[in-house]
Amino acid sequence: MTQFTFFGGKGGVGKTTVSSAYALECADAGLETLVVSTDPAHSTADVFDQEFGDDPRPVEGYDGLSAVEIDPEQEVRDHLTELRRQLNAQLSAAMVNEVDIQLEMAHQTPGAYEAALFDRFVEVMRNADAYDRVVFDTSPTGSTLRLLALPDLLERWIDRLMDKRERSIDLFEKAAIGNKEPRRVMDGDPILARLQERKERFEFAGEVLREDAAFYLVLNPDELSIRETSRSLETLAEANLPVRGLVVNRLTPEPEPREEGRGATYLRQRVETERDRLEHIQGEFDVPVVATIETRVEEVRGHILEDVAGDLEIAVTDGGPARTS
Amino acid sequence: MTLADRIAAFRATLEEWLRGLYHGMFTHPAYEKVEAEAEDTEDAFMLACFPDAFGIPSPVSYYTAELLPYLEDEYQSWERRMWDRQSVIERKGHQYHF
Repeated sequence: MTQFTFFGGKGGVGKTTVSSAYALECADAGLETLVVSTDPAHSTADVFDQEFGDDPRPVEGYDGLSAVEIDPEQEVRDHLTELRRQLNAQLSAAMVNEVDIQLEMAHQTPGAYEAALFDRFVEVMRNADAYDRVVFDTSPTGSTLRLLALPDLLERWIDRLMDKRERSIDLFEKAAIGNKEPRRVMDGDPILARLQERKERFEFAGEVLREDAAFYLVLNPDELSIRETSRSLETLAEANLPVRGLVVNRLTPEPEPREEGRGATYLRQRVETERDRLEHIQGEFDVPVVATIETRVEEVRGHILEDVAGDLEIAVTDGGPARTS
Repeated sequence: MTLADRIAAFRATLEEWLRGLYHGMFTHPAYEKVEAEAEDTEDAFMLACFPDAFGIPSPVSYYTAELLPYLEDEYQSWERRMWDRQSVIERKGHQYHF
């Protein structure tokens, strides 16, 4: 059974670092692991210092670790192109232009980006049999978390659409007198079939997210980040997706006691403020802090990543879903 | 032609006329009403699928766009009906034959 681990959080808190480190830890523990990045800026490539593409590719230098980078904008473009192709094959030339405008509009709505991303998530989940663990490095908070709350919402939407469609077809069938062919028939209606297919996908995603997924939020010890985390926790709780733990990243290292001077004083003060905030985090949220990671001087990559992986106290076996009885 | 035959022929014609009259006055308008209702429901379906055609963003329009290749007839008549329709009352008014 593949388990899915999601890392979310505000932009710039170090989600990529944490998720890469966690993936590395899983791989080291002998689990076949895949890291999925959805950040268009694609920092996974920087962390491992190599290029990744749209298809999973093994990470050089690490056994049992693969990575894939998803570009939602590209997904939206591909989706549009594919639909255009179908359109040209199916419709009369006069209609193509008309419908094309509608298509274009649908791909520019605010939801398109999220829908495309969601599609890819589901695809990754469906083809995840080769991996024991899939780690999602999600793009900044708002969109991705809403995304994960989507299946329920979308399922309801599709249900309503199907219901409407069924009712209208039913009426059309009733309106056909004698042996006149009804204008629409229920059997083999392509629209209903398409909607049904979509609905099954959402159901699948909803089930996987509820049963085989674990969520972690990454945050920094600063006010903005804490507030954002509190909002994310609410969003996820509303979507019935409990967060397993918080990872506090970028803690200031404490100077040696014998050290004096401006630098040391500054650090000591910072450490104190951060300790207060950490206590606040531990006290206010009923989600446990599963790891604290100190700031590194350099960019986290290469062997420093292994260092960070050591700091993570999320047990690899713990990454799986809680088995609620 | 015997008288009986002529009566039978007359009755057949009368019956046909009556059936026609009945159909014209009751059955046909009834079927028309059902069809109009079906169209209305279909309009509601189309509107729910493509609210962005009227500037209302929808969370699923990315997905419903996939239906467009199969919706040629529906889309065309939907647009026409949307253009034609001055008001709900005007459309509902069509249902009554005076």
